[in-house]
Parts: sequence; structure tokens; C-alpha cells
Amino acid sequence: MVDANTESSRGRAIRLAIFNHKGGVGKTTLNVNIAAALASLGKRILLVDSDPQCNLTAYLIEETVVDDLLDNSDSDNGKTIWSALRPVVEGRGDVRAVAPIERLPNVFVLPGDIRLSEFEQELSPMWGECFQRKPRGFRGTAALSQLVGYLTSQHDIDFVFYDAGPNIGALNRALLLDCDYFIVPAACDLFSIRALKTLGHTLVGWMSDWKTIVELAPTGVPLLPGRPVFLGYIPQRFRVYGGDVASSYARYLPRIERSVTSDLVTVLRRVNPALAPRSGSDSELGQIKDFGTIANAAQAQGSPMKDVSAGTPEQRNDAEHAFLEIAQKIIARTS
Amino acid sequence: MTTEPINAADTEFIDRLVAHYVANQGLIRRFLESVHVQIADAIVDPEPLSKLVHSVKRRMKDPSHLKDKLIRKFAAAQRLGTRPDITQENLFVRINDLGGYRILHLHTRQMGELHNALLPLLDQAQCDLFEPPFANIWDEESRAYFEGIGIRTEVNPRLYSSVHYVIQPRSATRITCEIQVRTLADEIWGEIDHSINYPHEHENVACREQIRALARVASSCSRLVDSIVASHRDWLERRPETQEHNEAGGDGA
Repeated sequence: MVDANTESSRGRAIRLAIFNHKGGVGKTTLNVNIAAALASLGKRILLVDSDPQCNLTAYLIEETVVDDLLDNSDSDNGKTIWSALRPVVEGRGDVRAVAPIERLPNVFVLPGDIRLSEFEQELSPMWGECFQRKPRGFRGTAALSQLVGYLTSQHDIDFVFYDAGPNIGALNRALLLDCDYFIVPAACDLFSIRALKTLGHTLVGWMSDWKTIVELAPTGVPLLPGRPVFLGYIPQRFRVYGGDVASSYARYLPRIERSVTSDLVTVLRRVNPALAPRSGSDSELGQIKDFGTIANAAQAQGSPMKDVSAGTPEQRNDAEHAFLEIAQKIIARTS
Repeated sequence: MTTEPINAADTEFIDRLVAHYVANQGLIRRFLESVHVQIADAIVDPEPLSKLVHSVKRRMKDPSHLKDKLIRKFAAAQRLGTRPDITQENLFVRINDLGGYRILHLHTRQMGELHNALLPLLDQAQCDLFEPPFANIWDEESRAYFEGIGIRTEVNPRLYSSVHYVIQPRSATRITCEIQVRTLADEIWGEIDHSINYPHEHENVACREQIRALARVASSCSRLVDSIVASHRDWLERRPETQEHNEAGGDGA
């Protein structure tokens, strides 16, 4: 149903992932709120729930609707990411186009599915088949990319955000290699910082493997760009008292910056300077403090923080401002 | 072993070519492995090729052997007052046996069927032939056989026998590998010759002579198997049970 992923079918949309394989760093919250901020700046966004845990779908779509989506995802008119990818897993053909849901004005959601893990299970051997130069491996590895290419052209999308699960598995490998850029969220804790070391080396390994695969790829198979550029990092969830960063969190901010420099920027630049165009200190995209009650209420109400009916107007304004600033930087750094 | 005379600039150039091979041999290895996966799948019993192929081998060229080969090429060119057209950019298409694959079979006359089975398999492996395959031969009977099945021949004065396919991936990168197809008896000769008599001829006349005699024994061995198999088939077709079966309107399978 969907064309081969040639340059033209990739479309003009910029594809990003907010990625850190350390869980609980607020990836989903960032995705939703940055998407809403970009939409308020006139951009059209596609949020792809590419995590079998479905946090993004649970955040944005009512439970009864999600239940219904998952119940019907196996049928021929299923609407989840699994419904689209199932023909590839079952070897019945290309991805099936499904219609994303416009959940906020100009923010479209491709609903996730717990069964996406079945696609991921197939992706591992498909990676091996790419090395063996078998066309099936390429069709599977690029299936999600082709689906996204189709959806972005159908809905005139400007930015795609993949909501990636917290792991360095085959699915995240395929979608990171499909991204034009990636953003690293970092919580103020030891494990989040330590994860950056693995992240840099993992990405470099994936890109290097993919380069070999592309060099030997049979002509005519769909390929991924395989060159995600580091767009910046977002320290988040730190506490603020009286306008200052609480001291227990303040000591983490320079550590995050140092780790971004040595474990990401330096490692990526060794492969290709263009993969990390900004120094560690210049690559912060903005800071997201702990918005406490409004962050929780936003998840419960399925809204971005700025629109939530909780907290004070000042808190909501604060949140709106923080995400707008990030959205503006994303537009500036990707144009 | 003799050392070929070669100038300092060429020596340095050759070292750079060898370093380029060492840095990029992973790509050739990957290509070779992708071909192997396809062939290995096709020679599993009861696939048709399993009846023809005895075994397969594969290897990457040792960098020191590449260096030796390049020195010989540059020295030979130097004697003629020329220079080989070998650069980093074309090394992987000028030298075709950096990645080598070998298919061993029992007797020469299997080659027609093997050739016809191998070509679609290479196509399935997303490979193209870099040049038409050719058979190294040194006797008229072999020439007639190979040309009869559409494989061109080249006389090998060293008495080497093998059919060579130079393949390239159907992809943007220009690299090549060589597939050698030969009989088990020719493999014995090839391994002995390669280990003690190649690329530099043995200094001992007895060793050189015996290796040439071995080529004839090996060739005769393959020829004898051709003959035994042909005789056996003929006997099968002529025996009374087969004829009765044919006369009774058997299915002819």
C-alpha cells in the first residue's frame, strides 16, 4: 500500500526522537508538551507511540477509547501502529496506512499497541537479514519509516516525534536511524547521567553498522537515513525554591552538561562533527523544572500542562513558557 | 623464495594499499558472508544443489599475501617500464580474490548442472558477475567440455584447474569476490601447490616435477569418476528392469 521509501516518499517532515534508555525521565510528558507548544506556533505534529508500553497513548487518549483501539487492532480496520505493521510481521506485504487521531489542534497521534513488541521481535532477525543483503530485512527495518512517510504527506506534517521506550532494542534502533535529530532528556539523578555513556556508544555502533549495511545494500531496497543529529538535551524534574534551583539538584546540572560533552558530543564528533553541531554547553534546549501537581493533573486529564485545570495560573504560565522556548529552539535548530 | 626488486616509492604505495585493505576488509567479509548464507541454504539436503556440491570453504586474503601479490605486479610492470593501474579507489575491483569462496564437487562433468544452478543463486544473493566466468584448463578434452557448456576457457601453464566466477554486490559499493569451483581431486592438487609451490616455484626440482605429475593424477582421478558415473548411468538405463518399466509405460521420472 505504501511506496518504497525513496527520497520523495520520505516527505519534508522533520523526524525526531526524545530518547534516553533510562526510564522515568519524562519522555512522554516532554513529547506531549513540546508537540502542543509547536502546534501553538503553527506547526503540524505527528506523535508516534512507538513504545509497546503505550504511555503516550494512555496519556492522550481516554481509557475506554484505548481499550476499543486495542480490541480491534488486529482487524482489517484497526487503527493502531500494530494494525499498520502487522502485514509486514506476517509477511503478507507492505505496511497498511492507518489514520492518526487529531487529539489536539494540529497534533495527530498514531496510537501505540502492546502488540508492537511482536514487530520488535521480528526486527532483530531482520537486522541480520540486512547484513545478509536480503530484501526482506530492509523492508521490515524500514517499515515504520515508510508508514511515517505516508502519514506525514497525507496530513501535511511538519514534525514527527517518536515516543521511544526506555531500551536499546531493535525497535529503537530502527526508529533512531530513521530520525533526523534526537533530543536527550536527563533527569537529575545518577542513573540518568550514567545512561548517557551507553547512549553515545550505542548510537555510534548503530550508525556504523547501518553504514556497512547501506554500502552493501541491494539496489532498490528501502533505506533509512541512519544519521540522527544530536539536537540538544533537556534537564528536567528538578525542584525550585524561591526562584533558585534546589541545592540537591543544582549539583547535577553541571554533571549532566559534562557528561553530555564527554559521552555524547565528543563520541559523536569522533565519527562525524556534523552529528553534534553544538558543544555540550551550547546544546541545552531548555530546562523543565518539577511542575508537581500540574504535571500529574496533565497526565490524568490528557492535556498539555498549559491547559490543565489544576495548579495556579502562574504555574501553567511557567510551563507554557518553558515548552514554548524549547519549541522555538527546535524550530530554529532544525531549519 | 626470491625477492622482487622494487623501488622505495612503490613499496610505500603498496603498504598504503595493504593498509586500505586491512581497514576495509570488513566490507568484503560481509559481502562474502551474505553470499555464503545464500549458498549454504541451497546445499542443504534435499535441495537439488546438495546432490552436486560436496562442500564449501571461504577465506579472506591474508594481508601479507596481498602485499606479495602487489609486489609481483609492480615488479613485473617495472620490468616493462610501466606501472599497474591499481589505486586505493580501484583496489577492490582490480584484485578480485580478497574474499574467496570455494565450491568443491566430485567430478568435472557435474559442472554444466552446477553452473546452471549457481547463476540463479547468485542472482538471488543480489550479485552480478563482474566478468564472464572462465575455466582454467590445460588439456583439449577439458577445453571441449567447458566450451560445450558455455564457459570460456583459459590455458593455465601451471596445470591449475578450476572454474572462476568473479562476483560483485548489486549495490552502490564497488567490490568483488571470487568463487572457485573445482573437483575434490583438483582441490588436493591446489592445496599442495598453493602451500609449497606458489606464488614462488619450489627450488627443488623433484618437488616441482612431482607437483606437475600430481596435476595429471588428480585430473585422471576426476576423469575416472566422470567415466564411472557415466558407465553407471548407462548400465542403469540398459538393465532389463528399467527397459521393462519403460515398455510398460512408466512415468519416466
